[in-house]
Amino acid sequence: MVSAVAQARPAEIASGPHRRVRIGRWALNGAAALALGFILLPLALVTWLAFFRQEIPSFPPEGYSLQWFGAVFNNKSFVGGFLLSVQVAIAATLIGLALAVPASLAVTRRRFRGRGLVNALLLMPLIVPGVVLGTAIYVFQIEAEIATGLPLLGTTAGLIAAHALIVIPWAARLVSASLAGFDPSIEEAAKNLGAPPWTTFRRVTIPAIWPGIVAGALFGFVMSFGNLEMSLFLVGAGRTTLPIAILQYLEWKIDPTVAAVSVLQIALIGVAMVATDRYVKISQVV
Amino acid sequence: MNAERSSTLSAAGLVGPATLYVGIGLLVPLAILLRYSLNQFVPGKFMVDALTVENYVKFFTDGYYIAVLLRTVRIALITTIICLLMGFPLAYVLARTRTRYKTLLIMLVVLPLFIGNAVRAAGWMVAFGNKGVLNASLMGLGVVSEPLEIMFTEGAVIIGITAVNLPFMVLTLQSVIEGIDRSVEEAAFNLGATPLRMAYRVLFPLAMPGVLAGTILTFILAMNAYATPVLLGGPRFQMMGPLVYGQFVQQNNWPFGGAISFILMIATLVLTLAANMLVQRRYREAAV
Repeated sequence: MVSAVAQARPAEIASGPHRRVRIGRWALNGAAALALGFILLPLALVTWLAFFRQEIPSFPPEGYSLQWFGAVFNNKSFVGGFLLSVQVAIAATLIGLALAVPASLAVTRRRFRGRGLVNALLLMPLIVPGVVLGTAIYVFQIEAEIATGLPLLGTTAGLIAAHALIVIPWAARLVSASLAGFDPSIEEAAKNLGAPPWTTFRRVTIPAIWPGIVAGALFGFVMSFGNLEMSLFLVGAGRTTLPIAILQYLEWKIDPTVAAVSVLQIALIGVAMVATDRYVKISQVV
Repeated sequence: MNAERSSTLSAAGLVGPATLYVGIGLLVPLAILLRYSLNQFVPGKFMVDALTVENYVKFFTDGYYIAVLLRTVRIALITTIICLLMGFPLAYVLARTRTRYKTLLIMLVVLPLFIGNAVRAAGWMVAFGNKGVLNASLMGLGVVSEPLEIMFTEGAVIIGITAVNLPFMVLTLQSVIEGIDRSVEEAAFNLGATPLRMAYRVLFPLAMPGVLAGTILTFILAMNAYATPVLLGGPRFQMMGPLVYGQFVQQNNWPFGGAISFILMIATLVLTLAANMLVQRRYREAAV
């Protein structure tokens, strides 16, 4: 981090007194470290609590233990919540990608009337607040149930349909971003060399936008997996997603068990991020 | 002409499904919710068809609900300002650093975004409880004799929301600062500017699009916070997000819950647009 400011050093030294520059650099790096610490502190504290020996979160701890990680697997709402969340997130990501990838291709590459409007509409689920989204989809699913007689509200299918809606903007954004840097003349070249449209798409376009698709899948999955506000309105009695199970537990009490399930989630997402970073630099797509 | 038409047709085939999905999945529900908010709620009889604005009138004539709205706006403003002040230095360092740890540092900022608000609120619960890290440390050091009441206060909610939204601000600012040519900073230094003056007169104005985008994003998120006020504010602390949930799911008052949803969404939009116009006008004047 220190070298961040060191870059600007020659110019600063040329113009200002040494000491002031040095103090400025320390102040800048100190402020940055403070902000980073502030972001990470809650995660660090939860992780610490997960290893306490006693159940009550009082400090300092009486000792350390791994028993709470076992307790997580005996908690039905955590295990069930995790399975439901994974199932919903995978299905919603696949549906979202299937809809968003062709749409992004058209929006970034073709000129047609209403292009700006379509683009705005695809990003809209990001802008509508989660609570409002939840209430609106809640009443929509009730109306749809009345109209069709099919169960929707509180079902896994209803939850997946709603989650696909929040995957679309992320997938569209990230795929569009990767298309923006892609030269269409490469596709022209493939066509001129006699490749049929589908082959061109499969062998030229898809590999070029692959980083965007991987990033879109990761973000879509994570946004769906972690969604709380919208899902609150759409889950059925006794069947909740993991974030809701954690919220409901915390409304009741905080103890090392809920901390342990949080740590497992942090580890899982951390691993997913590092794995994704091999395909596409996360620092460039966020 | 013909080629153009077939290209429009295939474009429609590509964007059609996604457009339809979002249209039916988002716009239709919002329209139904708006219609519900004009219905009547009769206790015992649930929702009765009507065409009335009484739910909106009820909100704006009851001091309790106005207080909830004002509290929500106040907390959103405070947390957004803190996010900007804390986020700018970190974003600058992340944008300008050339260490090999840059990816790691950015991942550390991104990771909490992916973890979920409830888990992050849990971290602050560990810190703020009567026997929490903070009180135990302060009492151990003899700074205070009684544990401080931090849990279930507005201060706890502000700290919680700030920490939740800070990564969004940092990432938005960082991407904009990376696009600013370093030589303009060096030019300012060569002309004798102090680092603070350079930041204020050169960097900050150039980063204004990022400042605006980050501010809008964190403000919207704070206005609509749910998990943080519920967990750190406690059951009696009300903000707009929990209020909507309570009316909708606990009271089953869909018309009033729908009305509050729209008030929340419109208040967020109006304040965002107002801030946008204010900043743009200021910077147009400054440019002249």
